[in-house]
Amino acid sequence: MIQVNDVTKTYGKGENLFTALYKVNLEIPDGATAAVIGKSGSGKSTLMHVVSGLDHATSGEVIVNGKSLHDMKAREIDKFRATEMSFIFQAFFIEANQTCYQNVMLPLEIARVGRRDRRKHVLEALQAVGLEDKVDNLAANLSGGQKQRLAIARAIVNKPKLIFADEPTGNLDSSTGDVIIKLLFDLNKKLGCTLFIVTHDPELAEKCQLQIRMKDGEIQDVSGMSKLKEASKSRPKKGARK
Amino acid sequence: MILQDLIRRSGRSLKSAKGRTVLTALAIAVGTFALTLTLAASNGATAFVNKVISENFDPAELIVAADENIFGRADTSKPQEFDPSFGTSTTNAGATTQVKRITEDDIAKIKAIEGVEAVREDISVNLRYITREGQKKYVGTAGAYNPFQKTELLAGEIADPFTGANVILPEGYVSALGFENAEAAIGKKVTFAVPKAVTPAQLQAQAAQGAAVQDPESLAKLAEENIVLEEFTVTAVSKKPTTSQPGTELYLYIPADEARRLNDISNQGTPDFRKYNFIYVRVTDGENEDALTATQQRIKDLGFQAQSVKETQEFLTNIIGVLQGIVAGFGAIAIIASVFGIINTMYISVLQRTREIGLMKALGMRKRDIGRLFRFEAAWIGFLGGMIGSVIAVLLGTAINPAITKQLELGDSSLLIFKPVEVAILVALLMLVSIIAGWLPSRKAAKLDPIEALRTE
Repeated sequence: MIQVNDVTKTYGKGENLFTALYKVNLEIPDGATAAVIGKSGSGKSTLMHVVSGLDHATSGEVIVNGKSLHDMKAREIDKFRATEMSFIFQAFFIEANQTCYQNVMLPLEIARVGRRDRRKHVLEALQAVGLEDKVDNLAANLSGGQKQRLAIARAIVNKPKLIFADEPTGNLDSSTGDVIIKLLFDLNKKLGCTLFIVTHDPELAEKCQLQIRMKDGEIQDVSGMSKLKEASKSRPKKGARK
Repeated sequence: MILQDLIRRSGRSLKSAKGRTVLTALAIAVGTFALTLTLAASNGATAFVNKVISENFDPAELIVAADENIFGRADTSKPQEFDPSFGTSTTNAGATTQVKRITEDDIAKIKAIEGVEAVREDISVNLRYITREGQKKYVGTAGAYNPFQKTELLAGEIADPFTGANVILPEGYVSALGFENAEAAIGKKVTFAVPKAVTPAQLQAQAAQGAAVQDPESLAKLAEENIVLEEFTVTAVSKKPTTSQPGTELYLYIPADEARRLNDISNQGTPDFRKYNFIYVRVTDGENEDALTATQQRIKDLGFQAQSVKETQEFLTNIIGVLQGIVAGFGAIAIIASVFGIINTMYISVLQRTREIGLMKALGMRKRDIGRLFRFEAAWIGFLGGMIGSVIAVLLGTAINPAITKQLELGDSSLLIFKPVEVAILVALLMLVSIIAGWLPSRKAAKLDPIEALRTE
């Protein structure tokens, strides 16, 4: 569960003071799909950075899976990110001159996963995104949709509890984007991981259980929470993966 | 990330920038090349000196002289006070200088010193000529055989103890004296013409016969007559030595007693009679360094100069060391220059991979590991440069070594000796230097703000 309590984030000082987030409160239950929508500069990316521990809140508290990021040392946050969360970016950020296998391997190496288990995890992840026949291909030779699928494989290889996706379809045409979105939601159901999507695409946002609308660093409204709570009652206990 | 993954990843990122990597490595390779060859030449020269010394000198012996300049050079820029008991010597430039020599009395004194086992004079007799029946006459020098010198024989053998009117004939004289081959010379007799000093009595006799004493022609005639012919049997033929002391290649080695006898004939009635520039003093239990040093000190206390074989060796290897140091210095300068190349390359690498660094940080890679990733990359460049430079040096050195060795007439010694351990240490040091060079760029990478880095398109 992600809890954001009264988080404010400011940059600069004095006259140059810029408030990116102002008294943000938010709660996202485990396994949910949440979309943060807003225009550029609305603070949605900053919110993602603060929640993922890439950035520190100026005030307030972020609690992820019961742990307050504020109390953690840099090293602990690194470990936390390496084992419990992962990222998908608009520009994919995959290493073009490495093979698919090597790209997906990176999080396992960072998390110091034992050598023996690695291959199995990587192949599973590639299979989950339908790239099992591209294992030893260079990432440079993949199409845009395949690159994003590769990035998703890299994001799920560590079986994280939380996936942050920053405009995951922003660089893709709409039909490819639809495939990616479907894949993300399928994985959310299959793996039970929380999906935190930052987007300005209303269509994508509508498909999520939660819609968090932001403007000028503040949350304007959150919709879908009641529906989500109902759903969680009828759902089996968390961790019971299908 | 674990070490192995870091090393692999850093190597992989170098592969993706091959041209840049190889060029940077080549800069290091130049310095490594020079250093590897310098080390090899240093090893070769040291080994050669050690070989020369071990094959000519007994480590239990001390070289003893009376003159303080004997191991150095006499100062010919200042007038020396004349001393009739001193011998004269000529410097390379032709200046005359006087040398205090060791006398029979001195030898007696030295023999009495505790720890002195035996004394061996350094004797060489300049023969008027050496010849054989029906052959031409050749100039020659007879030397006292030293049982510690390594003599490679082509034919015959050296009796132990080596005594009597026997000679070890150097290879060079075999055909000159009309022998078909080395084997044919064994057992044959050769004649030494030992010059005798012109004595005052002879001069008087000549004067009585009416010849002018100052007449150079009659003096020369007198000297010509003043020879003693001695017959020696060739007992062995020695191979041309490659590790002898310079200038002794054609020495006709005869037993020490014989050498002393010829020396006496040659110096009888002159101020040089039984006086020696050097003597070799064998120390009881001289292989033991403490015993050697103690006796050496006792000899020095009596006012003589004494040097051990080891000191001579050190003196020679020091000279080599200085020369090698100069070359090594240039190699080091080349490596220092290449350090800036590494720094530059690493900064470019960090800049090019800003996004990748951002991603790795976002995925939870620790600052320390990011820094290490780039330092390993620098180490790889150092390793590559070190390997390129040293491998080329070893290949080239091995290829030209026989030619150089032949040119320098080193015999079965080698000018270039490559030691794998040294090359490995050199490469390891280069990797260390590269890591230090990569320190600032790797720090920059470690400190990158992931949010900023991921924003870079």
